[in-house]
Amino acid sequence: MTTPTIRARNRPLWQRALLSPWARPVLLVLALLILWDLAIRLFKIPPYLIPSPWAVVQQLVNEWPKLLKESIPTTYATLGGFALSIAFGIPMALVIAYSRTIESFVYPLLVFSQSVPKIAIAPLFVVWFGFGIIPKVIAAFMLGFFPIVVSTVMGFKSVDPDMLDLARSMKASRLATFARISLPQALPSIFAGLKVSITLAVVGAVVGEFVGSNSGIGYLLQIANGNFDLPLMFAALTVLSAIGVVLFVAVDVVERLMIPWHASQRHGAVATA
Amino acid sequence: MKIKRLTCVIAAVAALVASPAFAQGKDKVVLLLNWYVYSEHAPFFLGKARGYFDQEGIDLDIQEGRGSGVTVQAVAAGTATFGYADVATMIKAASKGAPVTAVGVALQTSPMSVMGFADRNIRKPDDIKGKTVAVTPGDSMSQIWPLFLKKTGLKDSDFKTVSGDAQTKLNAVMNNQADLLLGYVMDQAIKLQDATHKDVYPIRFADYGVNMVSSGIIVQKDYVKAHPDVVKRFLRAATRSLEESAKNPEAAIDAMLKANPKSGVKETALVGMKNTAALYKGPDNPNDRPLRVGAKNMDETLALLVEYGGLDKASAGKATDYYTNDYLP
Repeated sequence: MTTPTIRARNRPLWQRALLSPWARPVLLVLALLILWDLAIRLFKIPPYLIPSPWAVVQQLVNEWPKLLKESIPTTYATLGGFALSIAFGIPMALVIAYSRTIESFVYPLLVFSQSVPKIAIAPLFVVWFGFGIIPKVIAAFMLGFFPIVVSTVMGFKSVDPDMLDLARSMKASRLATFARISLPQALPSIFAGLKVSITLAVVGAVVGEFVGSNSGIGYLLQIANGNFDLPLMFAALTVLSAIGVVLFVAVDVVERLMIPWHASQRHGAVATA
Repeated sequence: MKIKRLTCVIAAVAALVASPAFAQGKDKVVLLLNWYVYSEHAPFFLGKARGYFDQEGIDLDIQEGRGSGVTVQAVAAGTATFGYADVATMIKAASKGAPVTAVGVALQTSPMSVMGFADRNIRKPDDIKGKTVAVTPGDSMSQIWPLFLKKTGLKDSDFKTVSGDAQTKLNAVMNNQADLLLGYVMDQAIKLQDATHKDVYPIRFADYGVNMVSSGIIVQKDYVKAHPDVVKRFLRAATRSLEESAKNPEAAIDAMLKANPKSGVKETALVGMKNTAALYKGPDNPNDRPLRVGAKNMDETLALLVEYGGLDKASAGKATDYYTNDYLP
């Protein structure tokens, strides 16, 4: 198994750079951009239907100060919704995982609530909570909450029962069992849920902004849409996705610090979700 | 034997497919509206019910839309034959390269207004001071709003603004989160009334010197060139429909409600239809038939779009690039 590594080391620098884990997604994005540009040229797609990647890059540069300014409230709403999702999701998941009675009461309702299209009730958030940041935080929470609950429940339920028996036979307290065995074993799947949650929270925040807001990327998207400024719209979408990526990576870093021992963290530097 | 039967089947299928087109000689035409059906669209349903379009050899299919912008894009891409959309929105798209043109302008006086419940007693621009106004960022009304403020001597700091989408604006006024909203006299005013059974008082932009055309009939430029006769026949039927609806609004609303029972409540929709018909004539052509727009009106619209609507002056061109009266009866 050592041969490929040696061979890789013998490659020239540019080849190693090209194949480095960080370069790969960049390469793919570049390839997609070229494909996008080619498709527009080949099929003569007019700019009022799909803008060219170059026009989007130009808007990204020209409107950078505005994009940056509007991304701040969106990020706040996302983080607020994410924090709420953790604050409510993990305790609720604990209760569900440890009590079958509560599970049978709550879980079906939870799944039911998840199937409600948030975009349809989002206009009501404005009615209920006004025009401030709260409706956006709640929209982010509504989308980010469910994956955390599901994966946390799964994490706690798949704790090895033999380990729990062992702890009990050694007269470990319930708290010690939880802290030393259950929580560490559940953490990997909790983090899997957190990662899904943070990307959905970004979407939720923008849904909230779309419905009623004086600022944020969602607000900018609405204006760009009204002016047929498709390059600005795509630029705003790019910034939005970038926010999602940055937050995802942040969760990933925390995960690596907290569970360096887990199988998913042992190899390579690339984020594996 | 087998082959013969197959030929028969193919012939039969071909005949079936071709027959509606040939037997009746009708052109199938899709009219994509700017929004879900409401009173403003009633004339087209009247024309369809009374057979005005049939008599011109047009098989009309009316589809609901999701905003003027989408309608313009669909017409430009050839997905819909005709579009009923905000002409100002169309001009913006056309200046960005969308190959569309307005072949008839239905609303030649702007329906834009700022409105609130009548019991709040907001009846003139000065009453807006200290109030909260709900707007949709990026839409045509929010763009012309600064001009209304200028014409009436109001400042941004005189009132509070909240922004949200079309539904949020209505919700905000109904729940007293805002006193006023920017809306159309025959659209939002009626929706507010239907939902709350309270009277709504609109302050029309047009009454304070804001002259701008609104909804019109738009077509792809290539389609006009290739099928001038279809466009002419369609517009003949449409003109008749609008004239008849102005004379007999009740029949128009009945036709609309029959085709689309969910599109409104008869009493208020009737008010909406009357308010719509009041906008068919522009300030510069009081004696023209409907859909025929005045050159001055269009020039002014374009000038406003350049000054307030975010239209690039360099690519704006002249008004005649965006409309034509040549195909109207």
